[in-house]
Amino acid sequence: MTDTTPETGPKLAPTTWVNPLTPWGTAGQDDVTSVQAPDPRQPWDENTAYKAKTYKVGRLKHYIVWPAHGAKLWDRWRWWPTRRNLLHIKGLYNRKTLKAEKKILDRRPVYWAICLLLLAIAPFFFPESMENTLLSAGAIFGIFAAINVCWTLIVGTASIFSLASYAVVGVAAFLTTWLSANMGLPWYTLPLIGAFMGLAMGAIIAIPALRLDGFYYALLTLGLNELCRVFFTTSSEFGSASGGLYGADTYISDQWEPYAQSLTGYYGAFLLMIASLFLFRFINGKRLGRILRMAPEKREAFAEACGVDYRRARVTIFVLTSAALGFIGGFYAAQFGGVAFQIFSFDTVLLGLAMITIGGIGKAEGAILGTLVVTVLDKVMIDWGPIRHFSIGLIMLGVVLFLSNGYFGIKKQFNAWRDKKRGEWRSIRSEKGGEALPEEATEQDDKDELFFRRFDKMQRDYLKGLICPEIIEEHRRQPLGQHSEALERVCYYFRRAPMEDKYALHHDHAKDRYKIIAFSGKRGVSPRVVDDREYDNVGDAYHAIFIRRVHDLMES
Amino acid sequence: MAQQKIFGYANKISVKQGESIDFHVNCDGADTAEVQLVQLIHGDNHKDGPGYIEREIDNPVNGTWAVKKQFTQLGNFLRIDDPEKHLKCDGSLSMGCFIWPSHPKKGERQTIMGRFDCLTNEGFAMGISPDGYLEFWVGDGKEIDYVTAELPLIRHLWYFVGVSFNAETGEATLYQEGVLNRYNSLLGPVVPYTLSSHVRTTFRFRQSNREDVPFLIGGALDHHEARGHFINDMLCGKVDRPFLSDRPLTREELDHCRETGKAPASGLLAYWDTAAGYTDKGIGNTVIDTGPYKLHAEGYNHPVRGMTGWNWNGKNDCFRLAPEEFGGIELHPDAITDCNWDVTGTMEIPADLKSGVYAIRLRIGPGTGLAEEYIVFFVRPSKPQAKLCFLVPTASYLAYANETLAFDAQIIQPMTGQPPVVTDIDIETYEHGEFGLSTYNSYEDGAGVCFSSYKRPIINMRPKYRMAGMNVTWQFPADLSIVAWIDRMGYDCDFVTDEDLHLEGIDAIKDYNCILTGTHPEYVSERMLDAQEDWVAQGGRLVYMGGNGYYWCVGFPEDTPWCMEVRKLDSGMRAWAAKPGEHYLVSTGEKSGLWRNRGRAPQKLTAVGMISEGFETAAPYRKMPDAFHRTVSWITEGVEGEIIGDSGLAYGGAAGIEIDRYDLALGTPPHTKIVASSGGHSDNYVLVTEEILYAYAGMVGSLDYRIRADMTYFTSWNNGAVFSTGSIGYGQALPAEDFNGTASKVLKNVVDAFIKDGPLPGGWWTLEEKQWR
Repeated sequence: MTDTTPETGPKLAPTTWVNPLTPWGTAGQDDVTSVQAPDPRQPWDENTAYKAKTYKVGRLKHYIVWPAHGAKLWDRWRWWPTRRNLLHIKGLYNRKTLKAEKKILDRRPVYWAICLLLLAIAPFFFPESMENTLLSAGAIFGIFAAINVCWTLIVGTASIFSLASYAVVGVAAFLTTWLSANMGLPWYTLPLIGAFMGLAMGAIIAIPALRLDGFYYALLTLGLNELCRVFFTTSSEFGSASGGLYGADTYISDQWEPYAQSLTGYYGAFLLMIASLFLFRFINGKRLGRILRMAPEKREAFAEACGVDYRRARVTIFVLTSAALGFIGGFYAAQFGGVAFQIFSFDTVLLGLAMITIGGIGKAEGAILGTLVVTVLDKVMIDWGPIRHFSIGLIMLGVVLFLSNGYFGIKKQFNAWRDKKRGEWRSIRSEKGGEALPEEATEQDDKDELFFRRFDKMQRDYLKGLICPEIIEEHRRQPLGQHSEALERVCYYFRRAPMEDKYALHHDHAKDRYKIIAFSGKRGVSPRVVDDREYDNVGDAYHAIFIRRVHDLMES
Repeated sequence: MAQQKIFGYANKISVKQGESIDFHVNCDGADTAEVQLVQLIHGDNHKDGPGYIEREIDNPVNGTWAVKKQFTQLGNFLRIDDPEKHLKCDGSLSMGCFIWPSHPKKGERQTIMGRFDCLTNEGFAMGISPDGYLEFWVGDGKEIDYVTAELPLIRHLWYFVGVSFNAETGEATLYQEGVLNRYNSLLGPVVPYTLSSHVRTTFRFRQSNREDVPFLIGGALDHHEARGHFINDMLCGKVDRPFLSDRPLTREELDHCRETGKAPASGLLAYWDTAAGYTDKGIGNTVIDTGPYKLHAEGYNHPVRGMTGWNWNGKNDCFRLAPEEFGGIELHPDAITDCNWDVTGTMEIPADLKSGVYAIRLRIGPGTGLAEEYIVFFVRPSKPQAKLCFLVPTASYLAYANETLAFDAQIIQPMTGQPPVVTDIDIETYEHGEFGLSTYNSYEDGAGVCFSSYKRPIINMRPKYRMAGMNVTWQFPADLSIVAWIDRMGYDCDFVTDEDLHLEGIDAIKDYNCILTGTHPEYVSERMLDAQEDWVAQGGRLVYMGGNGYYWCVGFPEDTPWCMEVRKLDSGMRAWAAKPGEHYLVSTGEKSGLWRNRGRAPQKLTAVGMISEGFETAAPYRKMPDAFHRTVSWITEGVEGEIIGDSGLAYGGAAGIEIDRYDLALGTPPHTKIVASSGGHSDNYVLVTEEILYAYAGMVGSLDYRIRADMTYFTSWNNGAVFSTGSIGYGQALPAEDFNGTASKVLKNVVDAFIKDGPLPGGWWTLEEKQWR
């Protein structure tokens, strides 16, 4: 393409330019056919306003921003025994005022504290008429939230699409109930025994996960779930006649008043949920979680090449979490004194899926919010009848259709959407390589750059008009040295360009040939080859660069 | 197969017959290299010249050398030798230091001071986090515990920073206060920055110190499998008066340190008084500890000392006037003055090896491009043997050593009026940056590079190399055109370098009748200049073969003469500008900058001085009327017509690249004659900045009469004389037309006359003329 004559600007009056060096004999070209360069102030006279409508920019300070401590001592508290500060706060200088301000970079601990506190004191504010329903729903919420937090670790953090979480819980619950009922084990041993069972099951289910992926693995685990259901429902040992197995020792004594029983159940489940959150924090927020964040889906091969053993991390998480699920199963038995076959039913799996999807897979807060929504609909809004399952379905549908990662993905999704919209608006409003608009100026710290963009735009507007076959021919004949005014102005502009993507030549000594390259403008970063085309002599190569620069100018 | 690359340097640039010289070589992709001693004759492959010429010389060194990969410790830091481990604070401690960060948001950790191992996480240190916040951290061999300041450090402002660590309670308290005054920082007092930050936190564990970790200012120990221990996490910026104490200091005590620059005596382990030990002859690399144990710190790779300190108040402009205000030591992680590689081979210079330009040619694999290296050195006779001497401008080679203007300098294309032409070796060294920078570069943090040395590979001090920005030979390879001319003309010639002249003064040259300079002897020390002036006054005959010569005032530290220092300031065509108050050489105590600004314009020695540069074209000279005067007419004898130098390897003319002009107002000797002048330079030839009082339109070749190269001649005491070409391009014009061009003829006339003992030609034609026409 570099050989073609570029688009040229409007026709200017031709002129013969007399080289001032002619009397000295050093001119190279004496009389040159060129064009008359018009007044360079012309574009400044023509461009006295933005072509796009301009709007005022600025964001009102509508909340309190705390000043930094300045000369006062700032005693930073930590979460014992970690080195983590109470809140991730940073001092920053306000770009508008230079005032030193504090910014909480991660507000989630505040929200967690408020929400957990609300859950902790909620029973005291339940209306009396609903007290029983809400307390038992709360207990179920706590246990299911714990299960879902574990499940989201498997599906989210470890990216293992297992549907067997409820199967693990169920098996552990059934076996511990059976052990307790038949061998008289006390309630506090059940979660621990459950954990061992979970560990064993996890290890078994993990083996195929080494080979199977995605849909196939989901099918396998679903099959496993079904296998458990069929086994337990048909086995008389496990109460095939009574719809479940009961009779385990429980920490809630039936001697107590019903309200005390419900309240104990509520807080027991609440503590279980807190424990699961700690598990989540220690797996997702520590080494294992970090390893897996380096190996997100579809980029595993790259991570592996970097030495990240993501398979091992995934399986470790799976096995650990299965133990936790087993623990929950044992706890379930110790809470309710037994378990129903319902735990293996496909509905349960589906409801569970709804729970982790609504809030956002891979996030503890997502699992908990999802569980809350579904439990409230399922267990509290009993008056609604079948509509409530219908609405769960609708919510799930809505989440899957409109949100990319559940409720807690909304912020990120919204920001991405706003960025996209901003890009679209900018591309409509601003010209490529044009002046900076007021909204763009907010992102620029060096205000000098804003004037440079204006100046550059005027320059280009002017120089585009000078490009014509005459000056291109003049350059071809003599790339270096004294040029006519029209060509010299164009060359000055080209030579002054910033370093990024500025053209130069590469000389291959062995072949004695030249290639066009472009500098990176970044210290220590090599130039890139622009074009494979090679030139025999340096003059042709200089001219090829010139043509390329003319093309770039005319396209801007 | 890994890419094969070979680079090396010698421990000497100038070596006498009978002496030995060591070579240090780094090689990738090969274990052995072919070694051949070569004499370099011509270095430019330009089609109008004789091509590249080297002569293989028989010597026991020829054969093969075992070569290996060598590593380079880049960067400045201060290392403290502490054999008794006084600085190994295992319990409470306090540190304090004034700092002037120059790249706080570097994205990498920087260590201000401490005793820390980055690999094993052992020790303690104070530094700057990757996002620019002051931090103090301790490591117990497994983990790091740290406390971070509240507000980020702002670039180019002076702060006092410190930490007080109480090992009993585990409380670590950071101290950060701005100490900017009206002069010392980038910003003034009107800017509403709150610079204070005082943060306390309780650590979970205490530091565990390993015996062999050094206490460093501006760096921390690190380790690499192949390389072993090295220093990493270096600081960008200035430090001033660092101290270490073995007890937690109170806020009031640290306030006192900030106000006075002194540290409390009780518990003091070390106080490096960065402004102590200054003399009016300069400052060394040792930073004095005035504390109880006298643990002096040693600067690595020449940290820049004598810089304006936290308490500089603008009144004194030199460290000699008020040393206490110039305690700043500027550290750069990308500085390098000595690669410190292992010796690969040694060569004894035979007593009968002719003085000249030599190189050890190393080849591996294909033996071309990056697989070929020339380590250049200059051989001097043990005693002067010839009448003619070529004064090799090695100081100027150092100034341009490994320049990367084509890659980094936006102004290079407007200056040279052409796109650069780069080669593989340019790209290779640019990518790696391990061989350091030239005085035409800036460090990563933006400060100009003021030290350059030859104890590192210099890719542009080798034959076959062309400077990318201008696509002509430059400095060493350009000077080889003069070497080739001397060879072709059959002169006996001794080679003496700038280094010899600086170290020995006039003794190095007193026995020669005639000296030829290089094409661009731009950087000169006072001793070099004194020696040349004295030699001319004693009857020496100088042929100034270049342009833009005798321009910058440079110094060489007494203990490291292989390293050159320059500060660019005030005026002159300069790649950077030294900051206010930082205009004096730490190597000698002299003011740097242009010799012209110190009362020694080049005109005083050579009759001409820098007037313009343009680079994209060149012009010939034309005889001036004085050329016909019999005092000088012998110079142009044999030149037909009036044009001189209308061919050449640099843009086809002898007058070009950078050119010099006669100027009585700047000290051109009044009896100087202009033999010839160039003219008709293009508008890319612009007037130099030191000539500009008021700038006005049209200070360019076709409009300003001053823009020209003057060929001048004047005589001195005792039959001494100076002939100047006033153009860099003259040297490259010599090989054109098979060494038979007019430029060559003129130079031959001059050299033939200059090497003869006794009076010079034209000396009798000195009476006042009685003109008939």
